[in-house]
Amino acid sequence: MIVRIWGTRGSYPVARAEMLRYGGNTTCVEVRVGDSCIILDAGTGLRQLGEALGREPSPPNTINLLITHTHWDHIIGFPFFAPIFQPQNRLEIYGLQRTQSSLRKTIANALSDPLMPIELEDLRANLSFHEIHEGLEFQLDARVRVCTARANHPYRALAYRVESADAALVFIPDTGPFHTVLFGDERVEWTGTPTANSADDLLALAVMRAQIVDLARGADWLIYDSQFTAAQYARFPHWGHSTATHAREIAEEAGVGQLLLFHHDPHHTDTQIDAMLAEQRAACDSYLNIAAAYEGMELRKEDLP
Amino acid sequence: MKMQFWGVRGYVPTPGAEYLRYGGNTCCTALYGAGGELVILDTGTGFCQLGDTLMTREFGRGCGEMTLLITHTYWDHILGLPFPGIVHIPGNRLHLHGPDSTRGSLEMVYNGMLSPVYSPVYGLAHIGATHSFQPISTEPFMVGGMRVSALPLSQRNHSPIWAYRVEEGQRSLVYITDVRYTDDQIWKQALQFAAGANTLVHSAPYTRAEQVQDYGHSRVEDAIELAQEAAVERLMIFHHAQARTDDQLDALVSGYRRQLGEDESPLIFDAAREGDMVDV
Repeated sequence: MIVRIWGTRGSYPVARAEMLRYGGNTTCVEVRVGDSCIILDAGTGLRQLGEALGREPSPPNTINLLITHTHWDHIIGFPFFAPIFQPQNRLEIYGLQRTQSSLRKTIANALSDPLMPIELEDLRANLSFHEIHEGLEFQLDARVRVCTARANHPYRALAYRVESADAALVFIPDTGPFHTVLFGDERVEWTGTPTANSADDLLALAVMRAQIVDLARGADWLIYDSQFTAAQYARFPHWGHSTATHAREIAEEAGVGQLLLFHHDPHHTDTQIDAMLAEQRAACDSYLNIAAAYEGMELRKEDLP
Repeated sequence: MKMQFWGVRGYVPTPGAEYLRYGGNTCCTALYGAGGELVILDTGTGFCQLGDTLMTREFGRGCGEMTLLITHTYWDHILGLPFPGIVHIPGNRLHLHGPDSTRGSLEMVYNGMLSPVYSPVYGLAHIGATHSFQPISTEPFMVGGMRVSALPLSQRNHSPIWAYRVEEGQRSLVYITDVRYTDDQIWKQALQFAAGANTLVHSAPYTRAEQVQDYGHSRVEDAIELAQEAAVERLMIFHHAQARTDDQLDALVSGYRRQLGEDESPLIFDAAREGDMVDV
């Protein structure tokens, strides 16, 4: 398994000099296992990934796109992904099943007039949509197994585990912690002070957390939402993002090989992310290896300590 | 009237070292009137950084007011709206003007863009600032001392795209984007609309020599011809293509300037850069 990171930023892309090292493109991660090509999320990083695929001597014709959820920062790269315009390609697109709108319709509406000039039917690649839910385990193809869990995020999001014979990657770009706010389909009103959770909510949060830890258990890499500082989290718990400390706690409990801080806040400069990383390394008393994901990063199992 | 570019990229934001000088944020331009008026043209991702800088002014205290002129609702012209803190501070006032689409009003389109499937905001109702939507028409209106007029530039089967002209005293700025001059009628209308403008900001992601698949944009040469025929003083092209690096834009600008010099054209030609402040 080889993992390449094409976009690390959360919320919206940022194009600023002081953010070049970690990168300004929104979430997109490529996983290659033999001939299998898996892409996690379709943020703006997907554009450059499409260009890189085009430069390969024999690019993959089947591309599996696993979408955690369809907030803009996770789908904005899709129409700029060159393989969707090429007839030899098949895209197998996976995303959360919802009662309100099909995955296909959600993507189709985002791409068509008056938001964009593209009709899904006109795309030359062959697109198939697969609506899935949390708690699934399935074989993506002969080499790759995928497991899902529910992340604690407004309107719900999926967390993915992608596993091959030699390695496992877990991808949780958007989740709040599991103690203050329980997110579901309804909007959470935030008044500035936490309201007491009901016993049911607390139980649901505990179950969700246990399932996230289970999903990440023993993985080689855990890519995890670390958008906020503690001060930001205190102000914005209703946006459904974690701090780097929340990420480390999950990583330590799950016993992963390496934690990658991810979904960087659009306001955080390279220097600030360096400082967040240093703080977690200092606070970590286990063997856990911690890095902050950056654009262009490549992960190989043999590089793990 | 001063103008500042906050986003000059078209299609999709382009973070990256090779795009830094011209900038990677999508369409957003601010106009600052002599009387303190603030008029924003489009709300691409450039709006996020503009919004952050406005936090230090009256918008940070919930007493800011801005007028937003929206040309159309493609992603690169609207997606920046919900992110800056200023739009979530009660007391700030946002007056949005723009065209209704074939699938609903401007307000419905923005509301749909913020629906929970696409955004954690859960719809316009949860934008804390006071906001109003006004369908645009060809009837001119005033924003303080600035006079705004608008022109529809319809395209094939898509929702209309509007151009704006903003005048203050004797100075005028015209902003035209995402149009392809496919027939004489559109060309003549644009020509009349841009006539005598001091500054024309015009989208022009590609040149005629480039063989690209494109969904409806004019070429640099079209923008130059329009500016020359309309007797515009200064043309600034924007909506730069996503693959266009800073070095390529430098080369493109100097190439056309050389050509204009050889033709003894009085037209001032430039490519818009993020952060640039221009005296209209």
